[in-house]
Amino acid sequence: MAKKIGVFICTGCSIGEALDTEALARVATKEKKIPLCKKNAFLCGRQGAELIKQDVVAEGLEAVVIAACSPRINYDVFDFGPSTIVERVNLREQVVWSHPADDEDTQAMAEDYLRMGITKAQASELPVPYLAENMVKSILVVGGGLAGLTAANEAALAGYRVVLVEKEPFLGGFAGRMYKSAPSRPPYTDLEDTPVAGLVADVEASPLIEVHTKTTVARIEGGPCLYDVTLEKDGQPSSFRAGAIVVATGARPYDAARLDRLGYGRYANVVTGVALEDMAREGKIQRPADGKPVQNAVFVLCAGSRDPGHLPYCSSSCCVESLKQALYLKEQNPDAGVYVIFKDIRTLGRYEEFYKKVQNEGVIFIKGEVTAVSEDGSRNLSVEFADLLLGERAEAAEVDLVVLATGMVPSTVDYAEQGAEDCPAGNVPTVQQPVLNLAYRQGPELPALNYGFPDSHFICFPYETRRTGIYAAGSVRAPMDLAAATEDATGAAMKAIQCVELTSRGAAVHPRVGDLSYPEFFMQRCTQCKRCTEECPFGAINEDEKANPLPNPTRCRRCGVCMGACPERIISFKNYSVPMIGNMIKAIDVPEEDEEKPRIVVFACENDAYPALDMAGLNHLGYNAWVRVIPVRCLGSMNLVWVADSLSKGIDGILLLGCKHGDDYQCHFIKGSELADIRLSKVAETLGRLQLEPDRVRMVQVNIMDYDKVPGILDDFAERLVEIGPNPYKGF
Amino acid sequence: MADNSASSGRLKYEAGFAREVYGMENGSYLKLCMQCGVCAVSCATFKIMDYSPRRLFALVRAGRKEEVMKSNTFWMCTTCLMCKARCPRGIPIVDVMHDLKGLALKQGYVNYPQAAFYQAFWQDLAGRGRIFEGGVTARYFLKRGPKDFGKIMAQKDVGLKMLSHGRLPLRPPKAVKGKKELMQMVAKARELEQKGAN
Amino acid sequence: MRYFFYPGCSMEAGAGSYTKSLEAVARALDIELAEVPDWNCCGATVASSVIGDAPAQVMSLRNLAMVEGSGLDVVVACSSCYMNLALANRRFQNDPRFRALATKSLAAGGMQYRGKVRVRFILEVIANDVGFERIAARVKRPLKGLKVAGYVGCQSVRTIPWEFDDPEQPVALDELIGALGATAVPFPLKARCCGASHTLPQGEITSSSCRDILESAGEARLMVTPCPMCQLNLDAYQSEVNKAYGTNFQIPVLFFTQLMAVAFDLAPSTYGLKANIVAPGPVLAQYGVAV
Ligand code: SF4
Ligand code: SF4
Ligand code: SF4
Ligand code: SF4
Repeated sequence: MAKKIGVFICTGCSIGEALDTEALARVATKEKKIPLCKKNAFLCGRQGAELIKQDVVAEGLEAVVIAACSPRINYDVFDFGPSTIVERVNLREQVVWSHPADDEDTQAMAEDYLRMGITKAQASELPVPYLAENMVKSILVVGGGLAGLTAANEAALAGYRVVLVEKEPFLGGFAGRMYKSAPSRPPYTDLEDTPVAGLVADVEASPLIEVHTKTTVARIEGGPCLYDVTLEKDGQPSSFRAGAIVVATGARPYDAARLDRLGYGRYANVVTGVALEDMAREGKIQRPADGKPVQNAVFVLCAGSRDPGHLPYCSSSCCVESLKQALYLKEQNPDAGVYVIFKDIRTLGRYEEFYKKVQNEGVIFIKGEVTAVSEDGSRNLSVEFADLLLGERAEAAEVDLVVLATGMVPSTVDYAEQGAEDCPAGNVPTVQQPVLNLAYRQGPELPALNYGFPDSHFICFPYETRRTGIYAAGSVRAPMDLAAATEDATGAAMKAIQCVELTSRGAAVHPRVGDLSYPEFFMQRCTQCKRCTEECPFGAINEDEKANPLPNPTRCRRCGVCMGACPERIISFKNYSVPMIGNMIKAIDVPEEDEEKPRIVVFACENDAYPALDMAGLNHLGYNAWVRVIPVRCLGSMNLVWVADSLSKGIDGILLLGCKHGDDYQCHFIKGSELADIRLSKVAETLGRLQLEPDRVRMVQVNIMDYDKVPGILDDFAERLVEIGPNPYKGF
Repeated sequence: MADNSASSGRLKYEAGFAREVYGMENGSYLKLCMQCGVCAVSCATFKIMDYSPRRLFALVRAGRKEEVMKSNTFWMCTTCLMCKARCPRGIPIVDVMHDLKGLALKQGYVNYPQAAFYQAFWQDLAGRGRIFEGGVTARYFLKRGPKDFGKIMAQKDVGLKMLSHGRLPLRPPKAVKGKKELMQMVAKARELEQKGAN
Repeated sequence: MRYFFYPGCSMEAGAGSYTKSLEAVARALDIELAEVPDWNCCGATVASSVIGDAPAQVMSLRNLAMVEGSGLDVVVACSSCYMNLALANRRFQNDPRFRALATKSLAAGGMQYRGKVRVRFILEVIANDVGFERIAARVKRPLKGLKVAGYVGCQSVRTIPWEFDDPEQPVALDELIGALGATAVPFPLKARCCGASHTLPQGEITSSSCRDILESAGEARLMVTPCPMCQLNLDAYQSEVNKAYGTNFQIPVLFFTQLMAVAFDLAPSTYGLKANIVAPGPVLAQYGVAV
């Protein structure tokens, strides 16, 4: 049954002057047979909004089509409650601000957009939030080190129940075994006790936190608010339900055995920073070989880090940790000769004060590259190095202790046996470690972004992993020091709280925060091709016993990648579907061939490309009026049938504007734009078979700041289409 | 890379000289040097220095006393203060240069003409409490001996011009009346400084 | 306005024209300058290297101790003297260890200092206490069209960076030039070192610095400076520079007070232009100045 729709055309913001709004209204009333179509000179003003509101109530409108400004603004003004569908037609930014006024082509563009908007409103349904039985809001924290303790504590302070799981018999983790920590307070020069003891006490005292030591996670099923977690302690399983998960399992030190160039393993007096920390905590730093006192010591920084043969990245905390340990030695023996051989000293922020303090204590810093470490008969070491400050070969002799500042490898991976190269941390073959044991079709652990760190895109999605509801914090996510891990854990706890709150209302988390729609499967037509289960960037779709896709709606981020992937087109959202977009394409009025007015459909990613188009309009940058832009949730939601729909409709070309993909992707759904690219490569063959030029379909990566380039991209494509000539299927 | 036969020629890090320098009046500031090289590119006379200030300080830390003390670096310093104004670590590099000159004079590293000039200048000053340029010049050339005769001749033209424009007073200025007390103050300060250093 | 004035050795000797013109200009601006009684040498850039920083600074403090009772500021016109007096004073005020040492040392010569004197550079006094407006108002012979390079030199602006001017690209002297009706030319090396006391032991160092500086003065017909050492090096050694580098510089280098005396149209006897080695006559003739 056709729903009741009202169309409202704004004539403000120069829309009224540039367009023939009477003609526009006739598209709604005559062509689309919408009886209610009103114009107003200031629709976003109080009276304008009031006008719509009254009609919604008086006429019982189910959907309103607002032909005015971009949907990216005034969404709060044009919100008429949860039972009214709102469809926005962007006449301002993308028509009148970017095209000449009083122009036949501009008018045609506006009319098409209105047709498309009405079509979409007709196809839209109100989303019904996904709510399941027994949704819970408690938070599982995996890892009882500094980050885990902090996350647990912060979540409990905000009133959430927490289950904290630690595999060791005690809480505290790596930082808990430190003798002292680097300064975190003014004057930023003095060593401090680590915050761990205090945190452990807080956690143990909290009535909201349940602590399980000597415990591992045996299995996690379900999704946000519905995680069924099985723990294992001494071989005994126990189960409970959790709402979200913070992974704070930390890092492991880089394997010093691989650094035999630096004498580790060959000479007992070559130790790692971790071992030095143990000695300091036990109260005596001495030569491990013979227990003699330490008069001269050499710290070798970046031992295995920032090294193409080992870990290519900076481990971020070892500079400051080594400074701290150099002070241990100076505290124990002020006359000790302490040398630090570094690549760069990275003491960011207030740590610079600490660096100065350590310099002031007489520690000598040398920029250099260690070439060899050797030992004499009395087990004194000699360190040879290229002195990059003096440009000479140099040596430190009679050295009692060489301390290697080994870097960090995330605890989600471990070193592999020869040959295995599952998940390389840099150039070191590693294998994934069982941490979460997720019952996910796409695998039991968190996908890694790089070098085994399970981040996704920190700038855009802080703390998020590619598993919705699971947030990584601390050195498991990226190399970091104590202060950063504390901040990280607090952030991740915050994200976990947001997740349980939104999910328990059936709403999506970032980046489509609050979206109540979710993909629904018309299972009768499923061919079990598995495309959706494989392509979902978030692993939201499992398989049931009969190998049918089994969606987990609370894991879903509503990107629509599954919808784009499905060759049977059985996946759709209430307000976003393959036929809906198909109908929008069909609503475009395609001129006859002899009019020489090509038509181009532009699928623009809502996150970056569409805003860039808006910004082009805002800056009054003009481009051709042949394009018809259709915003998509993600380029990955583009179903190839839309290409076919467009071409058979006589559209001359199809342009896809989406985010950057590849290693440094900017896609808001991680894999979406990459998948679109892959799908397109297949389209080219099909086009060839139909005697159509593959050039008719083009994909361009743009980000939001490319708004000044967007007009060029659109016009170039139009030019190319003119060269190719009109779509031969026009008029079929 | 491990060429053991050449190991004797390798620079050995040794902390003794650094300690000696750190013990001087402004020496401990050097600990803070982060070897950024800003002083080197700021220095007025960098081009003619054996080592830039930055490199000189690295040599101090490496314990290379002979190279440091025999270098011309601190003698070439003109006290223009550019490095001091720019050093991101706030090191009063000029004052460190003073200390190094002092150490060189004390320990007999006086091969540069500037060393003789400094000594001549001080002797003149100590004798009167004020400076008489003619006196400094005379003492300077006396110290340098015949090897600098050529230089006297080279500067003769300038000297004559200055003379004819009334720029070279022929008579020394009056001595400071309180000269004796002035020298007592200096002596006391040197004595206290000596004590303080140890 | 009353101040004590610390002349220093070179003002007394080779830079007599600085003293003479400064005194005349001060009179014209109602500034009273009383010489620091029985002043002694500040040690120049040399003493601290021979006897150590602290003893050399004690020498400087003796001069301040001489006048502390008066409550007047001490004005210094030589960059090097200013640096020594100001730094000694600052250290006395900020470094308790040095303060103790200096107090004892001064006492050994029967003197006492409490750190109350303000040491000020002449250019700063003119900029702040007199002000460029008053200077401009006093001008009787505007030096219209005269392109002047203001060479500040190194030590005065960098003794205490940003105390009153930019330590690398100072502007006060240029403003003063403007106040006299002349035009300050762009002069990138205006605060570069001239080579200082290397003149005697290694004149080639000075020549090379001076060449760069003279070249950087661009189209200036005249240079002014507030520093005796700089004036001497740039003026007396200009011919050496020309000889060594085959250049042909003919830029008279004046003390800025000389140019002020000219612009104020004071008695020509106060200009002291005869002491200038590169003759300023040809440049100044068009303003009716006979040298
Ligand atoms: S933090 Fe410092 S020692 Fe550690 S990898 Fe980075 S640069 Fe090297
Ligand atoms: S592909 Fe996107 S929309 Fe589909 S299930 Fe996965 S997250 Fe949800
Ligand atoms: S500028 Fe300062 S910190 Fe930098 S190299 Fe020179 S002395 Fe060292
Ligand atoms: S003060 Fe000395 S070392 Fe520093 S920049 Fe000037 S000449 Fe060079």
